[in-house]
Amino acid sequence: MLEIKDLHVKLADEDKEILKGLSLRVPSGEVHAIMGPNGSGKSTMSYVLSGKDGYEVTSGSATLDGADLLEMEPEERAAAGLFLAFQYPVEIPGVGNMTFLRTAVNSQRKLRGEEELSAAEFLKLVRTRAKSLKIDADMLKRPVNVGFSGGEKKRNEILQMAMLEPKMCILDETDSGLDVDAMKLVAEGVNALRDGKRSFLVITHYQRLLDHIKPDVVHIMADGRIIKTGGPELALEVEHNGYADLLAEVA
Amino acid sequence: MTSMEKVAKAPKVKEGVDQETVDAVQSVGEKYKYGFETDIEMDFAPKGLNEDIVRLISKKNEEPEWMLEWRLQAFARWQQMEEPDWAMVNYPEIDFQDIYYYARPKSMEEKPKSLDDVDPKLLATYEKLGIPLKEQMILAGVEGADQTPADGRIEGQAEGRKVAVDAVFDSVSVGTTFKEELARAGVIFCSISEAIREHPDLVRKYLGSVVPQSDNYYATLNSAVFSDGSFVYIPPGVRCPMELSTYFRINAENTGQFERTLIIADKGSYVSYLEGCTAPKRDTAQLHAAVVELVIMEDAEIKYSTVQNWFPGDEEGKGGIYNFVTKRADCRGDRAKVMWTQVETGSAVTWKYPSCILRGDDSQGEFYSIAITNNMQQADTGTKMIHLGKNTRSRIVSKGISAGRAQNTYRGLVSMHPRAKNSRNYTQCDSLLIGDKCGAHTVPYIEVRNNSSRVEHEATTSKVDDEQLFYCRSRGMNEEEALALIVNGFAKEVLQALPMEFAMEAQSLVAISLEGSVG
Amino acid sequence: MRRAQALAAKREAAAERLSRGDLPKGGAWITAARENALERLHQMGLPARRDEYWRFTRPEALIAAQAAPVPLMIDEDAPQFGELDRLKLVFVDGVLNVAQSDALAMENVEITTLEQAATQDIHWARDLFGVLESRGQAPVERPLAALNTATATQGLLIRVTGKAPRPISLTYLRADDAGDAVVHHVIRLEKGAELTLLESGPAAARLSKVIEVDVADGASFDHIRTQGRDHGRRALTHLFARIGAEASFKSFSLTVNGALTRNEYVITLEGDDSHATVSGAVAGDGNDGAFHQDDTVFITHAGERCESRQVFKKVLRNGATGVFQGKILVRQSAQKTDGYQISQALLLDEDSQFLAKPELEIYADDVACSHGATVGAIDEDALFYMVSRGVPRRQAQDMLVLAFLSEALDEIDNEAIRDDIQTRLELWVERHSA
Repeated sequence: MLEIKDLHVKLADEDKEILKGLSLRVPSGEVHAIMGPNGSGKSTMSYVLSGKDGYEVTSGSATLDGADLLEMEPEERAAAGLFLAFQYPVEIPGVGNMTFLRTAVNSQRKLRGEEELSAAEFLKLVRTRAKSLKIDADMLKRPVNVGFSGGEKKRNEILQMAMLEPKMCILDETDSGLDVDAMKLVAEGVNALRDGKRSFLVITHYQRLLDHIKPDVVHIMADGRIIKTGGPELALEVEHNGYADLLAEVA
Repeated sequence: MTSMEKVAKAPKVKEGVDQETVDAVQSVGEKYKYGFETDIEMDFAPKGLNEDIVRLISKKNEEPEWMLEWRLQAFARWQQMEEPDWAMVNYPEIDFQDIYYYARPKSMEEKPKSLDDVDPKLLATYEKLGIPLKEQMILAGVEGADQTPADGRIEGQAEGRKVAVDAVFDSVSVGTTFKEELARAGVIFCSISEAIREHPDLVRKYLGSVVPQSDNYYATLNSAVFSDGSFVYIPPGVRCPMELSTYFRINAENTGQFERTLIIADKGSYVSYLEGCTAPKRDTAQLHAAVVELVIMEDAEIKYSTVQNWFPGDEEGKGGIYNFVTKRADCRGDRAKVMWTQVETGSAVTWKYPSCILRGDDSQGEFYSIAITNNMQQADTGTKMIHLGKNTRSRIVSKGISAGRAQNTYRGLVSMHPRAKNSRNYTQCDSLLIGDKCGAHTVPYIEVRNNSSRVEHEATTSKVDDEQLFYCRSRGMNEEEALALIVNGFAKEVLQALPMEFAMEAQSLVAISLEGSVG
Repeated sequence: MRRAQALAAKREAAAERLSRGDLPKGGAWITAARENALERLHQMGLPARRDEYWRFTRPEALIAAQAAPVPLMIDEDAPQFGELDRLKLVFVDGVLNVAQSDALAMENVEITTLEQAATQDIHWARDLFGVLESRGQAPVERPLAALNTATATQGLLIRVTGKAPRPISLTYLRADDAGDAVVHHVIRLEKGAELTLLESGPAAARLSKVIEVDVADGASFDHIRTQGRDHGRRALTHLFARIGAEASFKSFSLTVNGALTRNEYVITLEGDDSHATVSGAVAGDGNDGAFHQDDTVFITHAGERCESRQVFKKVLRNGATGVFQGKILVRQSAQKTDGYQISQALLLDEDSQFLAKPELEIYADDVACSHGATVGAIDEDALFYMVSRGVPRRQAQDMLVLAFLSEALDEIDNEAIRDDIQTRLELWVERHSA
């Protein structure tokens, strides 16, 4: 279970507070969505949780199954079961996608004190998972995200998620830049990973992704905090009326 | 795992190099694993350099008179010369009188008749380096078929793969494998001292014809005092049936190594040649001044690959090898081809510019280089592409990686002579900086003297991308794993140019060389 | 030994060329500056052919005690910058000609002649005259700049305290076949000041010119010059600049003709957040006697977050030689440097040549530096395409030549000035059309 309590975060280099008392609980097996206007701190939250430099936590906590995420290095968070699907997946020239995946999988297993996957096991796994995401052998051979289309990059993120089998997945605007077909494909990939234990936090601007990945709970985020929490109907409300009413309500 | 064991155990994979990165980072343990020393009884010539030492080296090698004359001529010239000072490297003045110019294992006094007679201690040394000199051990190599990297590991088909080795220990060659089998194909592969005795006509004709005696300070020194090295002759139309390899080992203290390699690829022939080198960890710096000459006739091709892993000195810059090497290829005939690939991770100071003289029409030269410097290492390396013939082509891909307090310089020349019509050069030099105490420099010379030729040069310098590092770490890799992965990606074009087993070795070296450069 | 001998020979040549007794007389401040320069010159010696920095250009003609005479050329083109509103100052054979010049006065600008200032015992230029030159002697020695400092009696000392209302234009005319011009300008832009400096004309059979520019914080200096058309003339120029914080420095040069031109730039970005651009367009025809043009640039980044650009384009024909030596040095302090350098040559025939050494020397890690160099003939595909659309081949080639050079001209911000330069270039292309 992911638990964020009264999290305050500012930029490391300037005196600008971005998260202003964010609290959130995502119990095991649930899918939560976070919606909110631009600049509300959604991406910052995902970066802070995964341990990116450039942010300073001034107070509050974030734990995954009771373990303090904020004390860990990024790779330790990954090994602890946290996964962030990037809004803008990074290109790494010269590094084969397959190499990258295998290094990541085995690094995590090593950190957790597990046996590394044998080449045969790995290959079998990656082929099966790639197939369901319509990722062909060619894409696996190419350098990580280099020359990938927007859709390919996002599918690649989901493939990594499927391979790394995290407990807690954060999807940062995974639908951005995708057409309807690509979005469906990604959503199917995500749904296939729902197993009643794994949790998801889906950050999105649009209701349409939530048609495909059905959330249990929807949060509205504004100005660095959750201002309203509700069921799937809350997303529909935003879709129809925008954020203005909600914001007014809180103010 | 050492290089030749890898040949034996790891299958050849097509895309290269992928699994090995992982292995490499995992096996990072000792910083310089070749730093051991062999306790072996040696014959030394007295320290210092004078005519008598030159005569002694010639005598020990049982050389004919003309060879001695040649050496003495070089020595006389060398005394008139000054050490070059233009490279971006700094090191204490070398006392050329405080070096042993000849060191030979005692057991080599009587030349062993065959490998079976070689001192077991010597064989064990090479064993430990991963260079088995017993032929039967080398036969187990496996080569993967046409498959994806991961596939290759599991489904790759086994296929015998042989590499013939000439092992040079301090000043002498201790043995050459597969000589008989090569001889059946007409290929001569032996130590240069043997070649001077057994094939004097070939040696006389070609020695010093690519790198003249007076070429530069270190080449001239080498001409006077070289003690051994490898000699290869590939007759017309012959495709050398296996890869040839020389393994250089400096063992004795205060000893300079001056090896000389001469490779002749006659018309329409082909050979791939590998060179590896290591030395024990020592507090005092040691000198290595080699000369490599390649002669390539019409339609012939030589691939020359080096993994240079001389002891780089410790974190504070103590000890290490001063590596001053002259390597040059002469494409004498039309359509001759040469490809230099080098992975430079060792040495305290590297001064090395493997070059191509593209004399024949339609001849081609390629230079692929990775130079990694960490801690206090300094490297000034690059290439010269001298276009003389028509329609000649050259390509330079240089990847410099600088970490710690190291200085890394690419220095290169592309020259298009007036009669080199319709020639082409493409140069890409990229530098990567890791940490704010190191330096990366680019010094290209471009001289174009005709207008039908085209030269394109691009260079970039940047630091390791933080976004890439974070992305890797967020997927579970630690900083060093992530760095090794990214740097191997940065250098991929060069790694791919290496023969497979060298690519694997090189990839692990990248990871090991960068150890301690983050965090 | 040989290196020591070579240095001794260079020093001997310098001692022979200039001794203390040859120095011009003047007040205390300039006497000190000249004596220091002489000392530097004697230490370094005169350049020699084997010097690395003179690898591509032979220094002999620039060193010789006497300049070789060059016949005067009647330039019938419209005067450069003639249409622009400017403060016009005219030098004839390297000496300021008061009769042909505007008064030495403009709002926010103080101008004195070196001649006049040299008679005084103290002058503000003391802090800069020979000082930036002296700092620019390391890591690469420029002995001929020191020779200029020691011997120059002509030049202007310009102090800019605010925005200069008009550009200052310096026109260098020639009236004599023979002779040297030795000119040394010092320009100081105070905080926030702005100046555009225009230069044009051949100056002399042989010109030695040093400009020292100090660009204070927030100031902006824009320099555009064209180097005279006289076929046989020779010129060696040095531009030394120190740039403060949040300041801007730009220099563009056009060289068409001249037997030998070498422009050295020594630019130091000292403050943070500044910008420097040096650029040049060159069109050379060896049939006009000879053509050898050399741009030698050394940009040092010391401040953080500075940007520098070097853009040089050269069109060469009939045995013309183009040279580019460009260097970006990034010191360890200069984090977040953005350095860019491009040098390109278009060789219009078999006899012309381009020689280049584009260097990067980088000691800071958080940088993005790149350089590119290309050399080649005119793009036959483009030419064919144009011809197939009915453009005569000759005209098509001229268009491609101008298009090639336009990338350098784009570095000029002021449209009127750019047009003026463009016109001069078009005239060259027309005259030299194959």
